Amino acid sequence: MENIFLFSLFMDSFPKLLSRLHITLYIVVIALFFGMVLGTYIAVVRLQKIPILSQLATLYVSFVRGIPILVLLYIVYIGLPLVVGAFGVNINRWDTMIFVMIAYIINTSAFLSEIVRSAVAGVDRGQTEAAYSVGMTGWQTFSRIIAPQAIQIAMPALGNTIVSLLKDTSLAYTLGVIDLVGVIKAISSNTYRSLEAYAAAAIIFFVLSSILEQVFIWGERKLGSTNKITISGR
Amino acid sequence: MGFQFDVGFFVYEIGIGIKYIPIVLLLSVVPLILGLLFGSGIAIIRLFKVRVLAQIFTVIVVFLRGVPLLLQLTILYLMVTLSFDSFAKTVGLAMTAKDISYTLVAVVGLSINATVYLSEVVRTALQSVNSGQYEAAYSVGMTSWQMLKRIVFPQAMPVAIPLIGSNFIELIKGSAIASLISVVELINGTLFEANGNYKFLEAYLAAAVIYWTLCIMIERMVAFLEIKVGVDGKGGIV
Repeated sequence: MENIFLFSLFMDSFPKLLSRLHITLYIVVIALFFGMVLGTYIAVVRLQKIPILSQLATLYVSFVRGIPILVLLYIVYIGLPLVVGAFGVNINRWDTMIFVMIAYIINTSAFLSEIVRSAVAGVDRGQTEAAYSVGMTGWQTFSRIIAPQAIQIAMPALGNTIVSLLKDTSLAYTLGVIDLVGVIKAISSNTYRSLEAYAAAAIIFFVLSSILEQVFIWGERKLGSTNKITISGR
Repeated sequence: MGFQFDVGFFVYEIGIGIKYIPIVLLLSVVPLILGLLFGSGIAIIRLFKVRVLAQIFTVIVVFLRGVPLLLQLTILYLMVTLSFDSFAKTVGLAMTAKDISYTLVAVVGLSINATVYLSEVVRTALQSVNSGQYEAAYSVGMTSWQMLKRIVFPQAMPVAIPLIGSNFIELIKGSAIASLISVVELINGTLFEANGNYKFLEAYLAAAVIYWTLCIMIERMVAFLEIKVGVDGKGGIV
């Protein structure tokens, strides 16, 4: 009987996989940063109920949250060059990584906008009124009173979203990005085996998401978050 | 050169995609039901701290929650295809790895994944019930099963329903990953039609619209159920 799992190969996979870890983390960090900026903007548009924009934002969030990230990746990868091409700009030569980033930014922005929106809405209305009554301006009220409380409310859900984002980046390889998962193809073309490398990748993802989870548990304790919604997302 | 989008083909692809909805539901509803069954079992074992079993399941749940679904499905797929031939030979089956239904492998993989997450949902829901309720039920002489059925489940429902709903949506979206282990589901089905004319954007957008519609329908259904079981105390249970 042929051996289906070679332990030595499993151990050898780790350095090769870890050498591409920075690509995976790069996608997470970029998607998180720009997703937060875009998501906050969307949340503000919806909270302020700006006509037309608010409806468009609602549609955007609903659509992005309603489709698999795999489909979103391909729509961005195939669709964006077509849309931009209609304006006479050729982006076919762009690095695949840029399309992957854009797809993950779109995805993250939709989920984060929901978190920001519910967190800001979750701060008691009386807090705003009290801040205004002591003569604070709109910005002062937001930055000193609303934001600190909203962050407290948002922490647990934010942690879930980031862990989900990390795990979702495993799909970036479908567009040809050589990240933690993409490099497995290269390993298996040398060894004609891939189970060991996939198992090693699973271990790495487990360790990374455990670290992230612990960081957020620590953060929640630091900030004293009380509204725990620990498992609503993946 | 203007933006080329073949609306006719897009509509045609939606028609094709609708035919694949049963497959999407097979890949999500079966895992949902199995996940609720086995997940409840695991949750109860962990809640009542059954020796050895509780520890084993805790390790499995914590580990699998940290591993992307893609890797879980791929590893299962590889294990099955690699070991099936020798397994079939020992048992005397006249089948080879080529005869295995990938859909079945995907259903099993998605069910394992669903079990993990739903066990956490059930555990959260059961823990949300005040411990005094458990004690009170015992004190009036109920058995464990009577207590769960009559006292705990009705109170845990309002907590569980929204979480089960969001997990159902995740399963619908997760079923897309089955396309990567060569299951012919919504994505591969619509893509197949586009192979001749390279209108892949239309194909993917059609698939997206169908996924979106399914998710919205589930959201509505869950919202309706939430009112029924009285989430937020509207129904007077909590």
